[in-house]
Amino acid sequence: MANRTGTAQRPNGQTQGKICQFKLVLLGESAVGKSSLVLRFVKGQFHEYQESTIGAAFLTQTVCLDDTTVKFEIWDTAGQERYHSLAPMYYRGAQAAIVVYDITNQDTFGRAKTWVKELQRQASPNIVIALAGNKQDLANKRMVEFEEAHAYADEHGLLFMETSAKTAMNVNDIFLAIAKKLPKNEQAGAPGGGGQGRRLVDGDTGPKAAGNCCK
Amino acid sequence: MATSTFSAVDEYGFERSLEFDFKYYERFMSEYIGILARRLKRWEDLSNSERKKKSGTLKRFVRKGIPISLRESAWMTISGAEELKRNSKYSFNTLRKRKTNSVIKEAIEMDIPRTFPDNIFFDKDSTLPEQLLGILIAFANSNTDIGYCQGMNYIAGLLLLVTKNAESSFWLLKTLVERILPQYYSKNMSGLITDLAVLDKLVQKNEPAVHRHIESIGLPWAVTTTKWFICIYAEVLPTETVLRIWDSIFYEGSKVIFRVALTLIKMHRNKILECKDMTELVKCFKEMGSHHGVINCHQFMKNVFRVPGSFPNKLLEDLRRQHNNSK
Repeated sequence: MANRTGTAQRPNGQTQGKICQFKLVLLGESAVGKSSLVLRFVKGQFHEYQESTIGAAFLTQTVCLDDTTVKFEIWDTAGQERYHSLAPMYYRGAQAAIVVYDITNQDTFGRAKTWVKELQRQASPNIVIALAGNKQDLANKRMVEFEEAHAYADEHGLLFMETSAKTAMNVNDIFLAIAKKLPKNEQAGAPGGGGQGRRLVDGDTGPKAAGNCCK
Repeated sequence: MATSTFSAVDEYGFERSLEFDFKYYERFMSEYIGILARRLKRWEDLSNSERKKKSGTLKRFVRKGIPISLRESAWMTISGAEELKRNSKYSFNTLRKRKTNSVIKEAIEMDIPRTFPDNIFFDKDSTLPEQLLGILIAFANSNTDIGYCQGMNYIAGLLLLVTKNAESSFWLLKTLVERILPQYYSKNMSGLITDLAVLDKLVQKNEPAVHRHIESIGLPWAVTTTKWFICIYAEVLPTETVLRIWDSIFYEGSKVIFRVALTLIKMHRNKILECKDMTELVKCFKEMGSHHGVINCHQFMKNVFRVPGSFPNKLLEDLRRQHNNSK
């Protein structure tokens, strides 16, 4: 919760902090908890029965890291396989992705791996990918071992955490870990990808700031 | 009726949003109740055959709204669902009881408690969730190419709330998915992808400034309008407005979806142009449902058939053909 300030730190009234904006997309099988993770992160809420997302939802949230404010533009997508054809529209130009699976369902882990493969092949080359094993509160029904997912994430250079949108475990942390890993001092994203990390002048949230990365 | 205008839920059991303008709604309803009574009288004066046979009069009657008490039977006849039901080899009950592919069954079961979780009639103790399951299972069994696509749950759910009849809801869903809407729910959602491109073209032609602005901000149409097509505005606009739209879709077909889309975009032209970034733009689209001009479903539907101008079927067919393989 402490990481939710919306403005950059400005000691002595000086513009010290920088604000960076990043596009983050959530992918994963239906009903693994993508929307619930976003709802927990953005509003601090949880609904046992979260409505299924049709198409995509868009939300924003900021986290503070030392002297940098990171603003996430979050694209939450529909999970059902057939909505796949729309997915490239959402991950195009994304600097970060959270691929979510449900630790109580082995199939969703398989699907997560497919998403990781697709992102590594088709999304921006420098995209930061995090793997989230959600529904950790249901660990007694676990079908995907922590070690297995951890080894897979290591092997593929992904951030990895088990999360619970229900208890809030690791939800802020995973976004924070992504924020830390995102390049804030150099060009982010693929050149010409149209979605580079943008440094915003204080108070400027307009699209004109696009392309000016944190320097 | 007068008390329901102050209720936190609408007559179909949906919670009204926190921003819901009760004052405006009350003003609108006091006028609309008179219209509803008049329309009911006019419909009752129609003979049985006049209610069934397509004609200029019936089309006009449908555009002005089908009375709530007659909606189920009118939808069944004007959409062709009644005919489909009559000519089908299998009954709803037979289809419902057939063995379903386990993957599809699981997907449907997962979505039942996630369909209108806040609607008071979809309470876990009511029979509606079970009936909804039956409709979606029967559909998946009757059409194995489509099976189940997320979004159909909302359509079937709203059909059920209106008709209170699982069997009619099933045939109406089947008619919508297979005959009225073009391949929105198929495995590759090709019809949806085509229609998103068609909408893009129509906006570009009708509202070039809005089109340029949305493009410059970089918002893909799919983000804000997928639900317009997939849920045919259910969960997007106020329920009574959605049902008025469905009245005409059942009679005139899917082009009404575009008429509504263009009307919404034209109504919000200035607001859209004022949006400075993605966040504001997405919010603007999200709030379209609380616009007074949308809550006033009677005036809204008048605009839907006037504002976008002439919209012949041929135009839509041509655009769909042009954009069929473009993506």
